[in-house]
Amino acid sequence: MKKARLSRRSFLKGAMATAVTGPWVLRFRGVAEAGPLEDRIIAAAKKAGPADLNGMIWSLYYRNMKRLSDEFKEKAGVGVKDIQDLSIFVIPQRAMAEAVSRSPKIDFFHIDSNMIPSLASAGLIEPLDGYMAEVGYKLEMLANFPSFMKYKGKTYGIPTDGNVHIQYVRKDLAENPEEQKKFSDKYGKPLAFPKTWEDSLQIAEHFHRPDKNLLGYAGLRNRANGVTWWYMNFYSAGGFPFNDDLEPTINTPAGEYAMDIYLRHKKVSHPEAPNWGTPQMIPQFTQGNAATGQYWDGTARQIESDPKSKVKGKFLYGIVPGSTFSGKLVHRSISSPLAAVLVNRYSPRKRQAALMTLYWGTLSNSIEIVTHPTWVFHDPWHAGHMTHPKVIERYSAPAMDAIAKSMQITTPPIYLTGHIEFQDVLGKHIAEAYIGQITAKQALTQTEAAWRKLIAQIGKARLKEDLVSYKAAMPTVDLPS
Amino acid sequence: MANAQTIARKPGRGLLVFKWTLLGPLFGLLLFILPAFLLQLYFSFHSWTIYLGSWWDAEFAGLGVFRDVLTDSRFWWAALRSLIFASLSTLGCFVAGFALAMAMHRPFRGHSLFYAVFILPMLTVPVVIAYTFEMLLFQRGPINGILSTILMTNVNVTWLAQPPIAVFTVIMLEIWNWTPFVFIIMLAGLSSLPPELDEAAQVLGASRWRIFSEVQLPLLRPVIMLALILRFLEAMGEFPKTWALLQGGPGSATETVPVYLFLTTWQYFHISRGAAMSYLVLIFMILIVLLGIRLLRREKQTIDAIHAKPGAGE
Amino acid sequence: MNRRTKRRIAAAFRFGFLGASLFAVGFPIYWMIITSFKPDNEWFTWPPIYWSENWTLDNYRVVWLGIQARITAQEAFTMQKPLQALKHSLALALISTTLSVAFGTLIAYGVSRYRILSDRRMFNLLMLRMIPPIVVAAPLTLYYSALNLLDTLTGLVIVYVITTIPYTVWMTKSFIDEIPHEMEQAAEILGASRWQTIWEVIFPLIRSGVVATFLFILILTWSEYLLALILSKVDVVTLPVQLSKYEGTTEGRVYGYQAALAVGVTLPLIVIGCFIRKHLVRGFTFGMVKR
Repeated sequence: MKKARLSRRSFLKGAMATAVTGPWVLRFRGVAEAGPLEDRIIAAAKKAGPADLNGMIWSLYYRNMKRLSDEFKEKAGVGVKDIQDLSIFVIPQRAMAEAVSRSPKIDFFHIDSNMIPSLASAGLIEPLDGYMAEVGYKLEMLANFPSFMKYKGKTYGIPTDGNVHIQYVRKDLAENPEEQKKFSDKYGKPLAFPKTWEDSLQIAEHFHRPDKNLLGYAGLRNRANGVTWWYMNFYSAGGFPFNDDLEPTINTPAGEYAMDIYLRHKKVSHPEAPNWGTPQMIPQFTQGNAATGQYWDGTARQIESDPKSKVKGKFLYGIVPGSTFSGKLVHRSISSPLAAVLVNRYSPRKRQAALMTLYWGTLSNSIEIVTHPTWVFHDPWHAGHMTHPKVIERYSAPAMDAIAKSMQITTPPIYLTGHIEFQDVLGKHIAEAYIGQITAKQALTQTEAAWRKLIAQIGKARLKEDLVSYKAAMPTVDLPS
Repeated sequence: MANAQTIARKPGRGLLVFKWTLLGPLFGLLLFILPAFLLQLYFSFHSWTIYLGSWWDAEFAGLGVFRDVLTDSRFWWAALRSLIFASLSTLGCFVAGFALAMAMHRPFRGHSLFYAVFILPMLTVPVVIAYTFEMLLFQRGPINGILSTILMTNVNVTWLAQPPIAVFTVIMLEIWNWTPFVFIIMLAGLSSLPPELDEAAQVLGASRWRIFSEVQLPLLRPVIMLALILRFLEAMGEFPKTWALLQGGPGSATETVPVYLFLTTWQYFHISRGAAMSYLVLIFMILIVLLGIRLLRREKQTIDAIHAKPGAGE
Repeated sequence: MNRRTKRRIAAAFRFGFLGASLFAVGFPIYWMIITSFKPDNEWFTWPPIYWSENWTLDNYRVVWLGIQARITAQEAFTMQKPLQALKHSLALALISTTLSVAFGTLIAYGVSRYRILSDRRMFNLLMLRMIPPIVVAAPLTLYYSALNLLDTLTGLVIVYVITTIPYTVWMTKSFIDEIPHEMEQAAEILGASRWQTIWEVIFPLIRSGVVATFLFILILTWSEYLLALILSKVDVVTLPVQLSKYEGTTEGRVYGYQAALAVGVTLPLIVIGCFIRKHLVRGFTFGMVKR
């Protein structure tokens, strides 16, 4: 208790210090802007004093960032000493635990940006706008992608991995004349890259040959991740999970449609899908066992530049299918987890941590992270990545085109305080419906009931404020140009 | 039973100090940890989630939090699943452990090798068990492979993807893990049986089954009770294997009380609800323990009476 | 059917059962061990490879020594800290077990000879073991955070001692109960103090029992997962927690590495288990069985 107050006081002190020094720094910005961004960050970090940071980050991610933190340590005296090595899917929970204990031990969190509202509400994370202004850093991301890092008007994170979902179709299969004939005979239309979920399902159905070790469809259906796919079905049908009064609105025609599409994939999916995660599903793509699917964009890089890939050059890429359910064709991709670096407000080294974060986030440094010579997790996010030859080389031009287009139509999952619970409750019920424990309708009604309880607990007024940030992150375009 | 009177050292302050020195560390530790329990109690009567400011400002909710938990159908489902899991796995452990103990009771060549292998599962770290079985249980994994060979058909069971089968799988894992515990206890029990009884019954012409059911089993009752109670209680708290393997899935098939408690506290961060829930679980467990203890104490008194040697103790 | 055939059938049945059990118990462990020696293209195949022709030590080198291998995902493993985790796990398990056994034995002695805890309290003590750790984990984090005990060995040792002490008291008490009181009376007549009696008379007599208890508690603390997960961060890493971090690489689960680490985690316990198996039988009965 005493400690928490102390750290609150030290926070105030820190805030005051920034308020005092802020304008002073701003006055000299004209001079500072002369050098490149990296130099300004280094200069600011030098002034902040040396620091050894602790981060909560998955080693698989940190690997590509390590050289840059060593470099930053050498040039500016600020580096990463130790990491708490947890999987990206576990970090949200552990970061919340840090918010409970308000510990200053971990300086930065590498985490799904959809946790920003929850962590900001819990008081754990530090807004970065002050630091960004100080060194002249701008978030350069396509469309309204930057709003994924914002909450109530403040920027809380710098991305390192800009996940979007794109559509995968096996080129060699889809362009095989024999298959094309068989397909058009059966469905009365040519075998083309799918525009809608219905098209996509037909293609999956056509190629689903379990006896020949070919899956019609590869997408996650487990309790933790399946919900990510459901959002795309739901949003594209014109659905949004809440109305302005924060009444849940998934038990609606759009919700029923989404459940229907989601469940219809069962017959073209692997029987073990209810328990499969990325480790089992990605090899289905790279080993050539999957004919179609929607998946994170990083899989394209694995298909195209992993030496062990058996299907290099054998895939067509595009934006995920859309739906005409709302009367017009709407495409909605999803960004979850969108991995970003967030800074601990309780840390005495938060200033250095914020600058380290910005250093990782400059264009040239982030290109190094995204195109690390060996295999990486980080996917492009910076507007500059989309046209950079090094990045294109890793992903192939068609995939890069799909990624850039997807940024215009990508969505967040429920971007509200209490994200984990909103999502887990939804995911649980969808998973139950998928394996037949409850009906699709029950899944929707039960989720709504659980959400109402949760909304009452967190407080409607507070969540209404959050809703503004959530809506700001929703795309404005139905079909990317 | 051993008794203070048997030692004729003069009582006095020295003795008191001595007794407290023995107990001191335990009391110290319990006192040290007490605030955590008090904090837990505080939370269960105050409505706090992490988004609502500092915990010491939380609003007093009376029994509201408890009412919340008691009306939560998910909690009751979890409780039901836990009960099913704990009872079936306890039963399974017991049957397997007892059968092994019976088979291993009399020595034979290679006995010690068998014994060494049979206690291995208990020595294996639960998380390791979960990951090892994940390798084994894939639809195209070795277990289906072996079953296919034995049954001469293509076995295609998805052990982890269908609700009833997944529950069966975690129960089997628990049985695999903890059968050695029952096995060891039962082996000790069997070897403590006086052989004379067995011989006498045989001389009288009793069948093996009658000797087992009417002579051995009643004498083993206290040991059996001990094994069942300890196993049941530990199974009620099983978390690492279920979590590492299935995280409550598929659907909600393996969302037991420990899993739900973990989700509530460490994923949803409803600290208050988690606290109230854990007190309810605690009370429930204590009821089981008290019941178990009553049974155990009765059995122990019988055992002490049977084995009391004339002249020893009182 | 005469008696002899009957007996033969019974024996066949018995050994059939034992053989089947041996397989059921042994196969998963065999699979873990053999996978840890398989090259990566044999980890996950159909039909499964039951006996590898291409044994390799690569998995161990990568996981334990941090040597980079050819497969790209493997490089991630050099970031892990298995040796540090091994050190911490050993320290944690040894310290908390020693304390638990020391305190527990003293209490057990007091209970056996001076009844410092009534029968009812003794049973209540067992309840301490029955509280699932998740129950107190949340307030414990807050409490520990206030005391600066989060992410320290001390913090974990305290919890481990508390959760294992019921078992140590119960197990060691059953050994002390078997020692005739005449031994201490003789020592007293010879002028030994109470502590001398414990140390020089009682302890040597129950040494094997204490060893059994010690090793059993070591098993429990060595494999503890949940509290370690919640109460440790960067300064303290334990093997079970570290093991769970090996999940979820994109290449598919890295079974060989996982198995190589799992073997390392399990091996010490198996060695110890073979050591104490005779003592285990006696230690486990909580005084419910008298000889």
